Amino acid sequence: MIEHDVVIIGAGLAGMRCALEASKELDVAVLTKVYPSRSHSGAAQGGIAASLGNSEPDSWEEHMYDTVKGGDFLNDQDAVEEYVKAAPRIIYELEHMGCVFSRTADGKIAQRSFGGHSKPRACFSADRTGHAILHALHEQLMKNEKSVKIYNEWYMHSLIVDGDRCNGVVVSNIQTGEVEVIRAKAVVFCTGGYGRVFKITSNAFASTADGVIAAFEVGIPLEDPEFVQFHPSGLFRQGILFSEAARGEGAYLLNDKGERFMENYAPSRMELAPRDIVSRAEQSEIDAGRGVNGEDCINLDLRHLGEARIMERLPQIRQLAIDFLGIDCITDPIPIQPTAHYSMGGIPVDKFCHVILDAEGTKMNGFFAAGECACVSVHGGNRLGTNSLLDAVVFGERAGKSVLEYARGKDFGNVNEGQEKAKVLEKFEDVFQRDGSESYKDIRDDMKEIMMSHCGVFRDAEKLKVCMDTLKELQVRFKKGKVTDKGKIFNTEIYEIMELGNMLRMAEVIAEAALYRQESRGGHSRTDFPKRDDKKFLHHSMVYDSPDGFVIKTKPVVITKYPVTERTY
Amino acid sequence: MKFALFTGCVAKGATRELMLSTTKAAEGLGFEFVEMKSASCCGAGVVSEKSPLLADALNARSFSIAEKQGLDIVTICSTCQGTLKKTEAHLNESKEYKEKVNDILEDGGHQYNGTTRIKHFANILATEEGMARLKSRIKRPLTGLKVAAFYGCYVLRPSENSDFENPDNPTGMEDIFAALGATPVYYPSRIKCCGFPIVMMNKDASLGMSGNALVDAIDNGADVVATGCPLCHLSLDSYQPEIESLQKKNQSIPILHLPQLVALALGYTPTQLGMDSHIVSTLKINQILSNSASSSH
Amino acid sequence: MATFRIKRFNPEKQPEPYFEEFELDIPDGATLLDCMNEIKWTLDGSLSYRMSCRSAICGSCAVKANGHALLACQRQGEHLLDNDDTITLEPLGNMKPVKDLVVDFTPFWDKINKVKPYLEPKDEAPAKERHQSQEEFLIIDDASTCIMCGACYSDCNTLEVDDNFLGPAALAKAQRFVGDSRDSKTLQRVQDLSEPGGIWDCTHCAECVERCPKPAKPFDRIKEIMTVALDNGVHNNNGARHALSFTNSVKRSGNLNENRIPVESMGIFNISGLLSLIPIGLRMLLKGKVPPVIHHSIDEVDDVKRIFKELDQ
Repeated sequence: MIEHDVVIIGAGLAGMRCALEASKELDVAVLTKVYPSRSHSGAAQGGIAASLGNSEPDSWEEHMYDTVKGGDFLNDQDAVEEYVKAAPRIIYELEHMGCVFSRTADGKIAQRSFGGHSKPRACFSADRTGHAILHALHEQLMKNEKSVKIYNEWYMHSLIVDGDRCNGVVVSNIQTGEVEVIRAKAVVFCTGGYGRVFKITSNAFASTADGVIAAFEVGIPLEDPEFVQFHPSGLFRQGILFSEAARGEGAYLLNDKGERFMENYAPSRMELAPRDIVSRAEQSEIDAGRGVNGEDCINLDLRHLGEARIMERLPQIRQLAIDFLGIDCITDPIPIQPTAHYSMGGIPVDKFCHVILDAEGTKMNGFFAAGECACVSVHGGNRLGTNSLLDAVVFGERAGKSVLEYARGKDFGNVNEGQEKAKVLEKFEDVFQRDGSESYKDIRDDMKEIMMSHCGVFRDAEKLKVCMDTLKELQVRFKKGKVTDKGKIFNTEIYEIMELGNMLRMAEVIAEAALYRQESRGGHSRTDFPKRDDKKFLHHSMVYDSPDGFVIKTKPVVITKYPVTERTY
Repeated sequence: MKFALFTGCVAKGATRELMLSTTKAAEGLGFEFVEMKSASCCGAGVVSEKSPLLADALNARSFSIAEKQGLDIVTICSTCQGTLKKTEAHLNESKEYKEKVNDILEDGGHQYNGTTRIKHFANILATEEGMARLKSRIKRPLTGLKVAAFYGCYVLRPSENSDFENPDNPTGMEDIFAALGATPVYYPSRIKCCGFPIVMMNKDASLGMSGNALVDAIDNGADVVATGCPLCHLSLDSYQPEIESLQKKNQSIPILHLPQLVALALGYTPTQLGMDSHIVSTLKINQILSNSASSSH
Repeated sequence: MATFRIKRFNPEKQPEPYFEEFELDIPDGATLLDCMNEIKWTLDGSLSYRMSCRSAICGSCAVKANGHALLACQRQGEHLLDNDDTITLEPLGNMKPVKDLVVDFTPFWDKINKVKPYLEPKDEAPAKERHQSQEEFLIIDDASTCIMCGACYSDCNTLEVDDNFLGPAALAKAQRFVGDSRDSKTLQRVQDLSEPGGIWDCTHCAECVERCPKPAKPFDRIKEIMTVALDNGVHNNNGARHALSFTNSVKRSGNLNENRIPVESMGIFNISGLLSLIPIGLRMLLKGKVPPVIHHSIDEVDDVKRIFKELDQ
């Protein structure tokens, strides 16, 4: 049995920032199913928010208000306040570590405008901000290689819990297929999001809900899972992210008639309204037959920005559109469509990243979560662009501090290694034994299709019921899937099957919560309940697993500074 | 067809047979090559290690010399070609940079305007016009000779500076061989590095590279390797006796400069082309050619 | 119908790799990675390769296609078809295969670690950010785009013959700190990087520039380190001596004095190095392949000298 004081699952921004903090005193392991530098945080392009005021005066209060309004008032404001206050320090620390930032003329960190932010507060490194921070943190881990052990290409299968305490994880080495138990005084999940359940998504193949579902399976509820953000600018058909920074720099959205249609949806902010609003506007245009050439896409026009600015500020995404669509944004508009991008919901945590089990804040001892997999909730019903990198770093650091505090002087819990291993080995055996009459590819495609069409930008009760029925059928078919590779060495097929299992479960949870929430708020839009309903739904949803199916409870929203008002832009 | 000939240093030093055979090849092809006697060394990507601006200024000066003559430049060395093209790319990349370099040139009475093209000898031949001219002047087809090209990195990479159509899988040299009546040999190492740039720093690695390439050529049935770069020639020919992998196989393979091969087909004798000055004997080539000549009679 | 000729390897089943062919209609607009997925998901689930972001930023999916390393997600399948409508896929080079198209990246990362790939700041952290001008940012901008995909490492010509070479990715990463205005260890870094296995072992083949899917272009970065090393007086090695000797020769005569450069590169006190020059020197002497003993300058050499002077070289 492997032992570490702390094991962190996931090596993106949150995981690595957490490791840097926790390793100041503890023996820390970071486990990732890829390599740290391959984590999906690196795909974030546009920026990281902080009220540095480097190009215009700014304040944490404004950042907080924008975040709360952007989240349609479902954010827990006590957490938001601490989060935005921490932002400048967090950015300066990243800069001190060596992170590469684009600069103002006087050498400060440059800041640009972003959707839903009333001030230019997105600090950026050209159009690869996530990549810059990811590598800066990875560099720091390499510097501290003696105190942090990294398990590259290991997969986390399950949490080991004993009553209200978490004692470790069961994992396997993808390269060798060996199953191992890691006993730890504390476990931190930084496992990211689950956009892969949708057909059109900006997410990496690795974003498959492994962590969230591992938590769900040991009785931890999932908070606000119905809130999935659709990013307005996914490259047509591929869904790959084309940064909001393009609109931050001044790009237009045009329908088939060449109209800047945002005039009709958010006249004061136009293309820089929050993402949920822009995505709905795009989808409405498409649904009304005003998609470009009658297809499911809208044009993003950068041409007026000019070659020089595009090359300076957006070189990487320009290349992306050339590589993937064969279109150069200097000379032609880019066809885009809403793409599943970010999960506002996730594993419920208090503002110190400790996982909680209920509205009363009962803790799961020794279990922490940070980043996209966690729901603090600082983003409420809709996250503003550039707030996610900030979330990952701020709460990654916090989780590190919390876990230090928690694990210091603690003993290891009891772990029955043989029994825990056996449970996971059974999972493998179960997959190998299936009758093979179904194709996992078809099951995955069907799941993604139904989630996109019936649980996507616009939802209603009827569609959601069809969606849930389809997912139930898919669960049955999943048990009959066909496996080709029964080997141990780098068997990517078996891991894809495990991931699909997690995604199917996640899809059910999302659809269940979406059906429950009979209102439209933030990223959750019900055509049968088009208005926000604060009387009935100004609370977080908490979805629990039970032998009789899902149970939904509520958790109050913490409102401190900014009273709930109408949200218009 | 008149060109300004950028000879490069090595063709006037350690591989004078390259200069000799270039003169013959030009004569045979009816090209007029005007030697650029006041052009400086291209810098071989080494002067730019010391100072990129210095290297570019020196090369821009050479371009200006050709521009004054109203001629395009022909090179006979892959390294010269690539290095000059690199400077050309830098100068055309930014207006400010071009002005900066021209300021440096001004006092010497030079100015770079970008009117002169820079072509390697192989790229002059590997055009429709070049091929037609070549084919019409062949006196002694190289029938039966299996020739392996060794391009030299600098004419291929970076590909945006290359005149070959598909630098990852070029055919220009091989097309020339075929036009000469020889049989081109395709082998993976033909586009690789000869190792010359690090022979002073890491001789084992350098000779490892040239050795791998030569073994690859031999294993693919080549009788001779022809190169467009005198530095590759030094690596593959002059160092050949020291290459372990070949010694182990007890094998050797003659290495020709591209102009030697061309001039041979144009009817010049090996001695006229300085083929007797190579370290690895080239006699085998004569034998193969006379064998195939007698068998065809 | 396209043929995908894929190098398969599964040490659990047989020790030697072999090629297997798959037929596939390449869907419109499909990337190479899309094609690989189609093969895996519909024809043979046991095919292994790495992938994640599919937007050319995570660096997972580098493979060799038709003999050259590239990112599978970044290229259209159609564009890679050869004349026989075939695409040949192999694992990256210069690393040991693990299974099919998956290779062992351990040596790659070990070398990244060797260049101390982290900022060693000049001073205590200020209250806010350290300032860096636009010009200073641009010096490290390209190197910082590296995604550690290993494509350059795969096709590096020096690495094929010398495992000791740090390789293009690690050296590009090194430039990211050598060039960082906030770093305090420039001299130490360029000294370390001038050791055997470092910058001077790069053979200028520019394969790394060609394979790099980003603007990182390692060879260009390696040359930038060389300039910094020379500027900082790190001259006690053959590579630096070679560059200086070469440049001085051009300064004196406008062209190369090939008789002097080998001797000056080895260093006049490097007896074994000088002795190693004797066999090649003798061979060339016997064939008359020796550059003229009296070295001639180019015409108008004074203008060249003027340029050197104007640039303080």
